[in-house]
Amino acid sequence: MQGTIRKSRLLGLVLLLLLAFLLDIAMGPVKIPLRDVLRILFSFRSGNSTWQFIVEQIRVPKACTAVLAGCGLSVGGLQMQTLFRNPLADASILGITAGASLGVATVMLAGGGMATLYAIKEMGFSGSWFVTGAACLGAAAVMLVVLILSRRISNNVMMLIIGIMIGTITLSIVSIWQYFSEPELVKDFLLWNFGSLGGVSGGQLFILGVVVFIGLTLAFLSSKMLDALLLGENYARSMGLTVQRARVIIICSTSLLAGGITAFCGPIGFIGIAVPHMTRLLFRTSSHRILIPACCLTGTLLMLLCDVISQLPGSQTVLPINIITALVGAPVVIYLLLRNKNIRAY
Amino acid sequence: MTRNTSDHCSGQAGTGRYAGRHEPEDLPGSTILTTDFRAKSPAWRLIKSYTYMIRNSRNIHFLIFFFAVVSFLAACRQPVSKGDTAAGDKGNTTDAPVFTKAVLKYAHGFLIDYHDHYKLLSVLNHAGGKTDTMKFVLVQEGTPVPEGYPGAQVIRIPVKSLVVMSSMHVAVADFAGVADRITGLGNFSFINSPLVRAAIKEGKVQQVGLDGNINNELIITMHPGILMTMSNPDASFGKYKTLMDAGVPVLPNAEWLENTPLGRAEWVKLMAALVNREGLVNKKFDSVERVYNELAQLGTKATTRPHVIIGMPFKGTWYLPAGESYQAKFLNDAGAGYQWADTKGIGSLALNFEAVAPEALKADYWMNLAQVDTKKEIVGKDPRYAGFKPFQTNGIYNNTKRVNDLGSNDYWESGAVSPDVILADLIHILHPELLPNHTLVYYKQLK
Repeated sequence: MQGTIRKSRLLGLVLLLLLAFLLDIAMGPVKIPLRDVLRILFSFRSGNSTWQFIVEQIRVPKACTAVLAGCGLSVGGLQMQTLFRNPLADASILGITAGASLGVATVMLAGGGMATLYAIKEMGFSGSWFVTGAACLGAAAVMLVVLILSRRISNNVMMLIIGIMIGTITLSIVSIWQYFSEPELVKDFLLWNFGSLGGVSGGQLFILGVVVFIGLTLAFLSSKMLDALLLGENYARSMGLTVQRARVIIICSTSLLAGGITAFCGPIGFIGIAVPHMTRLLFRTSSHRILIPACCLTGTLLMLLCDVISQLPGSQTVLPINIITALVGAPVVIYLLLRNKNIRAY
Repeated sequence: MTRNTSDHCSGQAGTGRYAGRHEPEDLPGSTILTTDFRAKSPAWRLIKSYTYMIRNSRNIHFLIFFFAVVSFLAACRQPVSKGDTAAGDKGNTTDAPVFTKAVLKYAHGFLIDYHDHYKLLSVLNHAGGKTDTMKFVLVQEGTPVPEGYPGAQVIRIPVKSLVVMSSMHVAVADFAGVADRITGLGNFSFINSPLVRAAIKEGKVQQVGLDGNINNELIITMHPGILMTMSNPDASFGKYKTLMDAGVPVLPNAEWLENTPLGRAEWVKLMAALVNREGLVNKKFDSVERVYNELAQLGTKATTRPHVIIGMPFKGTWYLPAGESYQAKFLNDAGAGYQWADTKGIGSLALNFEAVAPEALKADYWMNLAQVDTKKEIVGKDPRYAGFKPFQTNGIYNNTKRVNDLGSNDYWESGAVSPDVILADLIHILHPELLPNHTLVYYKQLK
């Protein structure tokens, strides 16, 4: 019985997801008839070259980015919540996102001077690859520190606290930088900090796809370990699990997901916290073999809807995605909690 | 006609910007007569204090010194007063000082009222349908501060030393020929003016920090005549309270809120009022204005209006100048077609990348792309930009021709007070047939 409900809900989610994907591609400040959108999507041809550019070069990459970010962030959040058995954990809890911010700040604020930026440009580095590369390096550096520490610490609560501390230190360095930088540069950095799905296309989208794929594969592989960890570390050990190795795999997976997505899209908050709760409440299970794919679906659906809303249908402007995820996500979580009255599975 | 304008314009570009730097101080306003010399003059106070000392001293040397000082002062005072009356008052029989008045035609952000020995400067903010005013009393040195202006900051004029925050302020000082009076700068790396850069090298200018990092203690010890900031007059002035309490007048320069290029450039007249150089600055501004208006007539009458997009999108958002901004006015006067010319507001519009894309795909020109120098860099930012028509037809012009080795762009410095040169650049780009002999000053084509 339970199984049939779950299956039908999963199927419903898939259908909703397809609908949301289509909605995200069909809606935008430029009105394009749905028929033409579909024609461009399926035959890659249309009488109107402007529409074709908008659909192929803007809307489809943006929707794909939303799918990748939605999957990655929610699965990362689920892994952290289970690993630390803490309902407030999300993909950015270990400071990986902060590390990416530090990388971007290094490039954008460049020691606080226009002159340094200019010098960097003269050296031949430029463009969005540079920023993205720096973000990846920053995230990787923090991940390395976290991994080295995780080898020496046996306790997950300590790991959690140390992760938060590392994140705080990293963000303080960014703040110092911001404080001493020129207003224009800070503004650029602030815009990056708002998060955006619209800046990823072409080769970048491909790289993001590969990173998220690796991260998700690791997550799927770790679902058994996550199930065991839910019962407590001691119990997991008694089941024959090497807790520290499991931890390394889980941290690697989350770091790849959070670091990669933050590097390309900027920090996107809330999805990582909210989606695992929604999924658990929706599917009433704590088995990660169901939760991980369900999280992918729910996260993607929520991200696509947030993207549609952030375009403010009917207007010419766009709101930062980070604002919308929180504005839309929080009430949904509160509603679900009030209906179910308890958080399970920790 | 075309030929003439063009030549005039290049001339303006070459010499106009720094002309006047070595001109002598405008005399009529800079020295002053008071109606009651004895009551207010510092000399009189000096005499009084000496009298007091002599009363308490038996020393005859003091007496001799006293007479020497008095006769010296009298000797100095007499001829200057005579000369001043002759030069300054044109048929005026009173002893009041005569200022050449700054006449404002375009700027909305400030007003100057002229009184006998002081000027009343109001910096206005029209935001949100209401008008807020910050008042400043510009008091001629050696004359008393007038009563009846509570809350107004007092500035002694002519201002002898300036601490400025933005490159625009440097340009304004340069225009008025007082760039050598700059003793403090917010940040050294934003400067183009060769004069100021030389002064920095010689150690005559100090770096005082910007916004949150302002070094209050340093500025207070420098005793500047004025601190010019770039903040909105409506914004919180709290961070300047320490400085104002210490007697440093803080003046917000909100030229960027003007909605015409000439209005923005007209802020040079505020600087003129501060240093009593209204005569010189009026004359120089008149020539800028004349050339600009001639060019604008040429541009607005152009038969075609090639479409232009402005700026560089960032992460899915494209900031474009709003229809009432001075940037939009530039485009209109240059005879450009601008899709967002009818939008409201003087700032910028934050538009969805997709909302701008249809226009970008078919526009003729793409301008002001921030910090890019080649088409390769543009594709490096986002490969989709290669699909825009200006990219394919080589219609990309950036305002970065005069970026110096520090990465500072003169477009925002001298360009701010040379709207005529910028307009000539734009017309030459958009309508080459109208100004065939013009050489681009601030703009360059990206390849």
